[in-house]
Parts: sequence; structure tokens; C-alpha cells
Amino acid sequence: MSSSLAERLIEELNCETVFTIHLGSFEIPVMESVVVTWIVMAVLILIAIILTRGLKTQNISKRQAFAELVYEKLTGIVGGMLGEEGKIYTGYLTTVLLYIGLSNIIGLFGFKSPTKDLNVTAALALMSIVLVEFAGIYQNGVKKWLHKFTEPVAIVTPFNILDVFTRPLSLCMRLFGNVLGAFVIMELLKIVFPPVVPAVFSLYFDIFDGLLQAYVFVFLTSLYIKEAVE
Amino acid sequence: MINVSFWNILWTVVNLLVLFIAFKIFFFKPIAAIIAKRQEEANEIFKSAKEKEETAAEKARQYDEKLADAEEEKKQILSEARKNADGQYQQIVAQAKASASEIKTAAATEANREKEQIIASAKKEIADIIVDATTKVVGGQTGAQVDSSLFDEFIDKAGE
Repeated sequence: MSSSLAERLIEELNCETVFTIHLGSFEIPVMESVVVTWIVMAVLILIAIILTRGLKTQNISKRQAFAELVYEKLTGIVGGMLGEEGKIYTGYLTTVLLYIGLSNIIGLFGFKSPTKDLNVTAALALMSIVLVEFAGIYQNGVKKWLHKFTEPVAIVTPFNILDVFTRPLSLCMRLFGNVLGAFVIMELLKIVFPPVVPAVFSLYFDIFDGLLQAYVFVFLTSLYIKEAVE
Repeated sequence: MINVSFWNILWTVVNLLVLFIAFKIFFFKPIAAIIAKRQEEANEIFKSAKEKEETAAEKARQYDEKLADAEEEKKQILSEARKNADGQYQQIVAQAKASASEIKTAAATEANREKEQIIASAKKEIADIIVDATTKVVGGQTGAQVDSSLFDEFIDKAGE
């Protein structure tokens, strides 16, 4: 039984190549996580299109009221974390929040969460650190951006440089580890205590933790951006 | 699981950018635009309401002014009328007084004239009586007797 459990876990955790695109001399593999990401994207974009159909300024429909509520709340939360100078990055971070949020809970619908693939969280973290450094350069100029590495005292410069690598690494690993850990615990619970107990824990591990990790990722990224644009 | 694949990372980056752009087009921009538009409309309505309020206040002020003017005019007319009435009253009283005094004067004149007339006629009558008496006396007596009786008669007549 333990071997079959291990096998099943490995099977669930492995991200297989769904198909390969041959482009000239390149062979571009398309992994499961990418396909599920497309599904997530399709769902999100579809919802967005449905919600923003026929917008009016007066006598708004319930659908529009909901869309505006979601928009106001999300941009309010993310914009509040970013601060006044980082407001222009609200759109991207809100998108990331929705993407990670839905990716984390899409496991409930029988898909493999894209965030369970290290490459996806790595790409997210990579984009975050690129955005953070870009924001710093864009806001302060190259000179001041470089100078910031020596603040508050010159001796911390190596650590500040290290930050550029540790921050995305921690972002990447935190998200990946949480999703992976939640998944493993849930699989174990499903085997050990079927059928009611896992449902209760699923509320925490699949829904709450998934959304929390999405929030944490966006929160930390916006914190870094806020710090960079100061 | 933990095998790092360059293509997978690239795919995810592309996916994220596509999702971001799609969300910008289909979600953020339209809602932000509609909210901004509503704000603009609200501002417009607010502005026009304020303008209307100002116009109404202005009109009210004008009416008040007009009302005050009318009141003023009324007072003026009234006081003028009063003044006129007073003048006419004075005039009428003066006229009445004048005509009364005229009538009085005329009456006094008439009375005087009548008095004089009566006196004159009385004098004449006295004279006549005297003449008559004289004639009578002269006819009946002579001398001092005549004189004295004449005198007595005169006194008698005069004493009456």
C-alpha cells in the first residue's frame, strides 16, 4: 500500500509533457502545468469578459455591480500595499493574485495545480524580481538604484545584492512548498481518514491556504516594489 | 516536479504577460473607464445642480429686492396721498373759515345798516312827532306855556 501511495504521489506530482511543438530546429515541450495555466487563463478571461459586458454608468446590473466590487476591492487591496508611487503596478499584481489564487484551488476541480510545478512558481518569482528592480530603476534612475545597494551602510552591500537572488528564490519556494505540502497532506489524509475528515481539512489546505499563498506572494512582491520605489 | 525546464518557465512568463494584457483589456480598463465616466457624470450633475441653486438664489434675491421696492413705493404713495389729503383738508378748512368770516362780516354790515336805517327812521319819526306836537301846541297855547308843554311832551316822548 505504501508503495502504491508513493507511486500515486509521484504520479500526481510529476509534470508531464503533454505535447511538443516542433519549430524549426527547436523542440518546444508543452507541460501539463502550462496547459492547466491556459485553462486558468481561459476561465479568468471568460469571467472578465462576461462581467464587463454592457457596462453602464447608471441603473447598473447586478453583474456590473459585482464586477465593480471585485475591481474596487482587488485594486484597493493591492494598490494599498503598493503605496502611491507604485500604483502603476496594481494591474499586474492583481492579475497575478487572481492567477495564483485560481491556480491553487483548481486542484479541487481535478486539475493539477500549475503552482505545484516549480517552473511556474520560478517564473512568477522571476517576473516579480524583474518588476521590482525595473520599478526601482524606473522610479529613481540607474544611479540611485545602484546606490540603494549600499544603504543604509556600505557594509550591507553584499547582502543587498544577495537579496536580489534570495527574494525571488524565497517567493518561488514558499509558494511551491506550500502548495506541494498542502497537496501531500491532503493526499495522505484522504488515504488515512476517508471520507469526512479530508473534506474539512480541504477547506483549509485547498481553499484557505491556496488563497492565502496567493495573497502572500502578491503582498511580498508589492512590499519589495514599495521599498524599491521609495 | 523539481526538474527545472527553461521552456516551462518561458511558457509561464508568456502566459502571465498574455493574461495581464488580456485582463488589462477586458477587465481593468473598461471598469476603470466606466467608473471614471460615472464620476464625471456625477460631477456634471453636481455642477449643474449647484448652478441651478445659484440661479434660484439670485432670483429669490431679485424678488426680495422687487418686493422691497414695491413696499417702498407703497409707503411713498401713501405718504404722498396723506400729504395731499392733509393739504386739501387745510384748504377746505381755510375756505370754510374764510367764508364764515365773510358771512359774519356781511351779517354785521347788514345789521349795522339796518340799525342805522332804524335809527334814521326813528329820528325821522321823532322829528315828525316833534313837528306834529309843535303844531298841536302852537295851535292850542302860546308863550312860555307852549315852550314848557312842548318841552314836557318832548321829554315824555323821548323817555318812552
